[in-house]
Amino acid sequence: MPTRAPAAPPPARTARELREAAAATHRRSRTDSDVNPLREGLRLERVPDPCAFVLFGATGDLAHRKVIPAIYQLWRTNLLPAEFSLVAVARRPYTNESFAAEVRASVEKYSRVQPIDEGAWAELAKRIVYQQLDFADDAAFDRLSTRLDELDKGCGTAGNRLFYLATQPSQVTEIVRQMGRAGLDHEMRGGGWRRVIVEKPFGRDYDSARLLNHEVNKVFRESQVYRIDHYLGKETVRNLLVFRFGNGIFEPVWNRSYIDHVQITMAESIGVEGRGAFYEETGATRDILQNHLLQLMTLVAMEPPSSFQADALRDQKLAVLRAVCTPTAEEIRREIVRGQYGPGWVAGEPADGYRQEPEVDPESETETYVAGRFTIDDWRWSGVPFYLRAGKRMPKRATEIAIQFKEVPLRLFRDSAGDPAPNVLAMRIQPDEGIMLRFAAKVPGLGLDVRTVNMDFAYDSSFVVDSPDAYETLILDALLGDASLFTRADEVEAAWSIVTPIINSWAEVPAPHFPDYAAGSWGPEGADHLIERDGRRWRRI
Amino acid sequence: MAQDLTGPRPVANSIPEVEGQLGKLWARAAVVRAEAAKAEVALIAAQAEAAARAAASLAAARATSDSGGLHVAARTSVLNLVVLAGDEATAASCAATIEATAGRHASRSLILTATDHDGPSGLEARVEALAETTPNGRTETGAEMIRVTAHGETGLHLASIIVPLLVHDLPVALWWPADPPFGSHRAQRLLPIADRLIVDGSGWSGNGLELLAHLATVARERRLVVVDWALLRQARWREALASVYDLPDLRPHLGAVRRIEVTFAAAEPDDVSGTTNVVRPLYHVAWLASRLDMSVVSPLQRTTDGRHVATLRQSGHEVEVVLAPATSDLSAGSTVRVDIASRLRGAELVGRATATDQRVDVSILDNGHERVRRTYAVPQLNEVDLLGQAVEEGASDPVSVDALATAGRLLGVD
Repeated sequence: MPTRAPAAPPPARTARELREAAAATHRRSRTDSDVNPLREGLRLERVPDPCAFVLFGATGDLAHRKVIPAIYQLWRTNLLPAEFSLVAVARRPYTNESFAAEVRASVEKYSRVQPIDEGAWAELAKRIVYQQLDFADDAAFDRLSTRLDELDKGCGTAGNRLFYLATQPSQVTEIVRQMGRAGLDHEMRGGGWRRVIVEKPFGRDYDSARLLNHEVNKVFRESQVYRIDHYLGKETVRNLLVFRFGNGIFEPVWNRSYIDHVQITMAESIGVEGRGAFYEETGATRDILQNHLLQLMTLVAMEPPSSFQADALRDQKLAVLRAVCTPTAEEIRREIVRGQYGPGWVAGEPADGYRQEPEVDPESETETYVAGRFTIDDWRWSGVPFYLRAGKRMPKRATEIAIQFKEVPLRLFRDSAGDPAPNVLAMRIQPDEGIMLRFAAKVPGLGLDVRTVNMDFAYDSSFVVDSPDAYETLILDALLGDASLFTRADEVEAAWSIVTPIINSWAEVPAPHFPDYAAGSWGPEGADHLIERDGRRWRRI
Repeated sequence: MAQDLTGPRPVANSIPEVEGQLGKLWARAAVVRAEAAKAEVALIAAQAEAAARAAASLAAARATSDSGGLHVAARTSVLNLVVLAGDEATAASCAATIEATAGRHASRSLILTATDHDGPSGLEARVEALAETTPNGRTETGAEMIRVTAHGETGLHLASIIVPLLVHDLPVALWWPADPPFGSHRAQRLLPIADRLIVDGSGWSGNGLELLAHLATVARERRLVVVDWALLRQARWREALASVYDLPDLRPHLGAVRRIEVTFAAAEPDDVSGTTNVVRPLYHVAWLASRLDMSVVSPLQRTTDGRHVATLRQSGHEVEVVLAPATSDLSAGSTVRVDIASRLRGAELVGRATATDQRVDVSILDNGHERVRRTYAVPQLNEVDLLGQAVEEGASDPVSVDALATAGRLLGVD
């Protein structure tokens, strides 16, 4: 007996029909799955699950300046679930109320939106719980675990916990070990995720980074670990990905055939701001080069990822770091420059030298400036130098990525009054976030004079809307389980494998005549020689 | 609020004159801003502790100066905004809204009114330049506003005025603040100019449904991006309603909806004359139906008791739709309450949302008992917010497209 085959849907014919058919299938599957179909098209297609945000180091500077104001801002804009608790953990004694009162003052001071929304704050304050805890005290972690279980029942936080380690780096290993011992890392079968945000620095060198990763991964799986580099949450950094992969016109020229070199600058006008002891142990290379500068370089140099899934993105960044040539001792001597600021003037004010700063050794050899020439050995970038520099007490605060294109092959306008400079595409990350393209234009008149002009896109004049703070972006991402903007263990280790030989080499050789640049200048002469040897010069920012 | 840089308003009586005035205005604006900046610098410099800031301002002035004047930057171009105001009062109101959004709105706005159709032909245009200092005070964003009054027969040919005044190669948004005359000769000429149509269905005359059906047809046939403020206004309801169904145990109820009832503020008891605008209540239903894969079984009909009813189908079961009038302090046509009743495995739930000017309350009633309650502090959008959102939406929003198409189907538009 013949059977009737089930009726097949009519075949889609045009590309548009195919897209619509795919969209319809997608919609159907969304309705059938555990995705809320009413969320489609709203500000967030997913919202964070009910959860407890457990903040270690809750009385510290980072928590008060950045983390808690970011939580308040997310709460104020209805981006956190109603079933939410902020569990503040630190050594000092507080009650829930006294801690909430203290952080309110911080929110008033540091929130990017003023004045404080009383209604929103009152609701958030109800969800703040303080837990006194000594990191070395086993019983205290057990009490924390019990309290979190109670919150799951009383506040509906459903066993989901995001731990934020806003503590001294030296305390991370101990806290993680204690969390493991108390079972705070255990995810439950019926739901109840556990994630941990770890602040930089992720180690002091390659070996210590590996050890730290090992210790953290003994307790948490890598997919539970969110290593935060707040630079990656900045709007312009994220826009770099949109700029490169959302526009068709740049990617074809984004390679060694058209680009002469790349400069990445991160200049700070401030000194160590009372953190002398910390900086003595760190220096510009560990503090900035190993993470911020190398991360920016990976975003400029990476191949297009197959998707914006966290691992697809991070795989491409890792590939860049692995392709960076590890400098030999001779290359370090020739191509990496360190410096330290002496007394000078910044913005019309006298500034002490680094060695005069509090908590700094008067004979300190810690570098407050680092510049280097790096190369990436792959097909796209072979032969294109990346000049990276970072320093304190520079004339101004500025972070910028500048792509300098090659000169035109034939100078047709060599007789004109001004020789056109090569094209530059500069992405300003701070301040005045935006993108500038420099190109040549004819000066109006009868002659054929050529002049360089800038086409300037400024974020704040095109989108007069406040950008979220990087911490808001990153905390929300972590609550949603999106790790794309966080650094993976292998990325951290790859970055240290580039930087560690530099640090080790410097440790063996006394610092040159420190201090070697005046506060308020653009760094030591050696940095100028570094780039001028290649016939290039640092951009005037 | 943007600063008007124009001084005495120049008046032009032809398109070339308008273009000429625009050039002069920006040149003059640069001088005005430079003088203002110099005055500010002088004031700041008088305070010893602020000398550094003064120096920075001077440096910024120098950096942006080509010939002694501050550069007033036109913002990175966004779009042309064309407003078909209808009358002078509406034009003034729209101009005020545009001015308040100068930092966000279109590069160029044209506000058109047509008067005295039987009088002599001609046009009268006022050209204004608006600039607003951005929050960090370092750069400025600029916008142009051209207010055109067309007299006599010229008013019948507005498209011929608009096209030469558009900034080239930018999208055109057509804002029709009053009842759009869909199907008219004027609409036939103007709609092809537009890439985006901005309307406010909640302000339309009568119950608004006839125009809404036209709008759905226009959106479909012309492939226009339609931004209806009536739908934008409901975003806060949608966020709140969606949030309660984020809870995993409630989510399956979205596939078992049996009744959607939207209660609206009637202009008169029971809306006896049927003149209350019900566009907003209908949009609630259309949004839910489009998100929850519902098809229309029987379109919307008005009953003798002032309600509107329809029937939808969702995966094998019917869904009753009711738009019910109620006496309320809210303005006529406002949504008073949205109820989503569902039945799944013996559990009967009602998702309920209500709102005030400043907040939305949402709850889940489980067999009559309140199971979840949440309050969202989300103020109503004002006209400035609405215009800002309407011009900033990057592209066609698929959820709005679906909602409008479903509204059309609920009104019998195939």
